[in-house]
This record gives sequence, structure tokens and C-alpha cells, in this order.
Amino acid sequence: MASQTLEIKRSSASMWGTGTGIRTLPTVSKYIDTTTCIGCKACEAACQEWNDLKRVPTSQAGNYQTMPELDADFWNLIKFKEQDTAEGLSWLMRKDQCMHCAEPGCLAACPAPGAIVQYANGIVDVNPEACIGCGYCATGCPFDVPKFHAKSGKMAKCTLCVDRVEVGLEPACIKACPTGCLNFGTKEDMVALGNLRVKQLKEAGFNDAVLYDPPGVGGTSVVTVLKHNNPGWYDLPADPHVPIGVRVWKQILRPVGVIAAFLSIFAVFSHYTKYGPKAVVEPEENVQ
Amino acid sequence: MSSTYAHTPVVVARHQENVVVNGEIVRHRRASRLIHWSVAFTFFLSLITGMPIWTPIFRWMAAMVGGLEVARIIHPYAGVLFFLVSVLQFFHWLGDMHFREDEKGWWRPSKLMGYMRYEDDPNVEVGKYNGGQKMFFWAVGLGAVGLLVSGVVMWFPLQFPRIVRELAILLHDITFIFFFVGIVIHIYLGTAAEPGTFRSMVRGTVTRSWARLHHPGWLKDVDKG
Repeated sequence: MASQTLEIKRSSASMWGTGTGIRTLPTVSKYIDTTTCIGCKACEAACQEWNDLKRVPTSQAGNYQTMPELDADFWNLIKFKEQDTAEGLSWLMRKDQCMHCAEPGCLAACPAPGAIVQYANGIVDVNPEACIGCGYCATGCPFDVPKFHAKSGKMAKCTLCVDRVEVGLEPACIKACPTGCLNFGTKEDMVALGNLRVKQLKEAGFNDAVLYDPPGVGGTSVVTVLKHNNPGWYDLPADPHVPIGVRVWKQILRPVGVIAAFLSIFAVFSHYTKYGPKAVVEPEENVQ
Repeated sequence: MSSTYAHTPVVVARHQENVVVNGEIVRHRRASRLIHWSVAFTFFLSLITGMPIWTPIFRWMAAMVGGLEVARIIHPYAGVLFFLVSVLQFFHWLGDMHFREDEKGWWRPSKLMGYMRYEDDPNVEVGKYNGGQKMFFWAVGLGAVGLLVSGVVMWFPLQFPRIVRELAILLHDITFIFFFVGIVIHIYLGTAAEPGTFRSMVRGTVTRSWARLHHPGWLKDVDKG
């Protein structure tokens, strides 16, 4: 749901956001520590409840995961993975949701003015009032997060509980977490917390531990502590970027095309001024 | 129907073409003109509903159909209709559109520049369609297929893998840019640049002098009967 109080930093298919930028807000972030997640799914339930999402049929794929991937009515999903590692089997759990990129591919790909916005605090949100349900954001997202909501004809995804955050509450998933593996605060604080945890893990012998905050999308407002420096094991892209096709489309083809369109119109006028019509020189034989 | 009216050009042009009536020559019979305008209408409907989705510079076009969300609903259906009538048009005109030996070099810049400067090649006797028109015909046919294939992917994006979606978007854009430039030139040639051409697509007929200037070979064929 679009926030009424937060200033908009960036807006899809628009030159500028609507904010003045006079009042600066710190970028907020979720913190996810996959090493202390116990896979209880309290965050899944809290997300469903707070956002009044409809029940989605679960599926059984031989593990504990609720369903194969995020859904238009299911914005927070713990991904379970049984991974063979050099040290033996590792049972991995990661909370999957919108990553709230600093440079959002969904926003870049969206053709509807104001349908995807980035608030001053870094939250990326779908504004259903402006969404036309074309699904281009799904092509723009390197994390495959936005999903088409068939009933409303709009795209839907995690809002980072912007309606809670704007009034000073933490997101519902964070509030529900019983182990403290989830946290919420400014991006700066969450990165510091993540770095501290990574240091702790390394001291405990997990030399591969890493904080996932991919620079290819300008960093994300979800920082994730991974025990293994192998994002693919957690269903995360190793080096996510706004897809090349979307960048070529928006940054090259679109301006070139617009210029070509106007130039072609100018060119035919120009032609006429130089050559005029190719008309019959002799007198018309068949005047009506 | 009164007998005095029965043999006016407009009546003859309902069902026949390439014939002389009262000094006018029927160039496009009614079926040809209706097919052409069906393609034109669906093309422009697709254009005004597609361009505002392409870039907000053309957002004002969406207002003509009631807003961007309406444009987004209309666009794919208009596009499919455009493809269907384009197919009809393709087969309707296919017989006239095979390149003669002396028309094969039309794509060459020297040839196109010469055409632009109204420097007619005295060695070529232009038939009902010149090489440029035939080229445009084939480009439109190919473009319609490109727009349909990429458009279907963009219509149902979530049914296709990411790489296919990205390629479809690029193909749709590139094809459209060529289409737009082509249509601007097409309209210009059919109206301002070559007076007397537009009426062949509305009324169906042209004058003898028009035919002699633009399509002398065709005029000879028509006179031969």
C-alpha cells in the first residue's frame, strides 16, 4: 500500500520522485542472520496476518518449505535447502522476500508512472492505484520477487511493512521472530550488526561467512548473513544486476527510438521543402 | 440502380481494378482499400495504446483511449487484430509483389537516394508497384510477425523464461522503431509527396497522367486490357 507520509525518492516512468529531499531520512534495512534461523516460519505467518493476505495452498516438495516460490499472496517465504558442503551436510534456511534494492530493476522496467516507487527511506513499493499489471517488473527484478495477482490484475510483493515503518514500528516479520535472527533499523546499523556477526562466525571457525549486500544493485535494504560464501546455495544470485536487456531497452533503445521517431517526421518535412511534390508537369487530361 | 450511375468509377471500383472508367483508372478495388484501412486502423490503435507504455513522453496518447490501464488492456488485442488483417493483406497483395529482375537492387542506398531526389531510372518501366513499394510490403509482413511473436511473450511475460522476455522486449522495440519510421515515410509518399496517390486508396482511382508519371508500365498493361 502506498505510503501517504513518506516522500518519494524515485518513481517509475517519471523523471523525478515527488519528494523535495529537504527532509532526509536514513535508509532502513532488515537484517537476516541465516545462521540463527530455526525455520519456525513465524515471520511467514506474521506477514500473512499483518498484510491480510489470502490463504495460499501449500505444497509438499519433500522438505519443510511452504511453497516453491513467493506468491502474489505470500510475500515472505523461508527457503529450505539441504546442501552438501566440504564439512558435510548443511541444512540451510533463508528468509526470502523483496530485497528493496537501492537501484531497483522493477522500478527501471515499469512503464506506468508512479506504479513502483522508492521512498526516501529506501523502501521499494508497488502502488496498486497506478499499476497496470503488465508484469515488466518481474522481468526487471534480478531476484524474481514481484508476482502477478490474478484477482486484482496488479503486481504484489513485500512492502517492507511501510505502513508500520512510517509510524515507527518494525516490520511484522521482524516482530514475530523468536530467535532474534531478524532485526530492523537503519541500513548503517544493520550492516554494522552484520559485519559483527560475520566476524563472530569467522572466529568460531566459519571462515566463509559473509554479509550479502550485493553492490550490483546498489546494495539492498535486506542484508543477509550467510555462513557459506556461496549465495547460490541460498537461492540468491551471486552478483545481481538490473538485467542487461532491461538496461538496453530503457537506456539505449528508448531514447534512440524516440529521437528516430521525431527525426523521421522532421525528415519528411525537410524533404518536401527541398524537393516538393513529385507532381505531374503536363496539364491534367482528366479534370473531374 | 439507375443505369447512369452504374458505370461511374466508384461503382466499377467496387469489384474491379486495373480498368479504365470515364478516363479514370481503377487502381485499388474496394476490397483492397478496405483491407488496407483495416491494417491502418488497427496499426494506429496499437500505436496509440502501445507508445504510452513505451515511454511516458507519449502518455497523452493513452488519454485518447481512457488512460494507461485501458491502453494496456486494448493494446494486445489491437495488436492481434493488426496481425490478422496484415496476414489477409499479405496474401491479398502477394501476387503483385514479386520482384522483377530490374527491381532487385532497390535496397541499395544509391537507388533509394535517387528515388528520394525524383531521379527516375529511364531503363526501368515501373509496373503497378515499384521496387520500393514491394520492399515495404515484405518489410511490413516480416515486421508484423516480429511484433506478434515478441508481443505474445510480452503479453504473458510470466509464462516465458527471463532471457526470452528480455529478447522479446528488445525485438518489439526495434521492430516498432522501424515500423514507425516506415509508416511516416509511407504516409508522406502517399499524400504530400505524390499528389493523386491518396485518392487511389480512398476513391480507388487515379488519373492517366498520374499513372504515366509513377507507373508507366502499369498504364500500358491497363490500356492493353
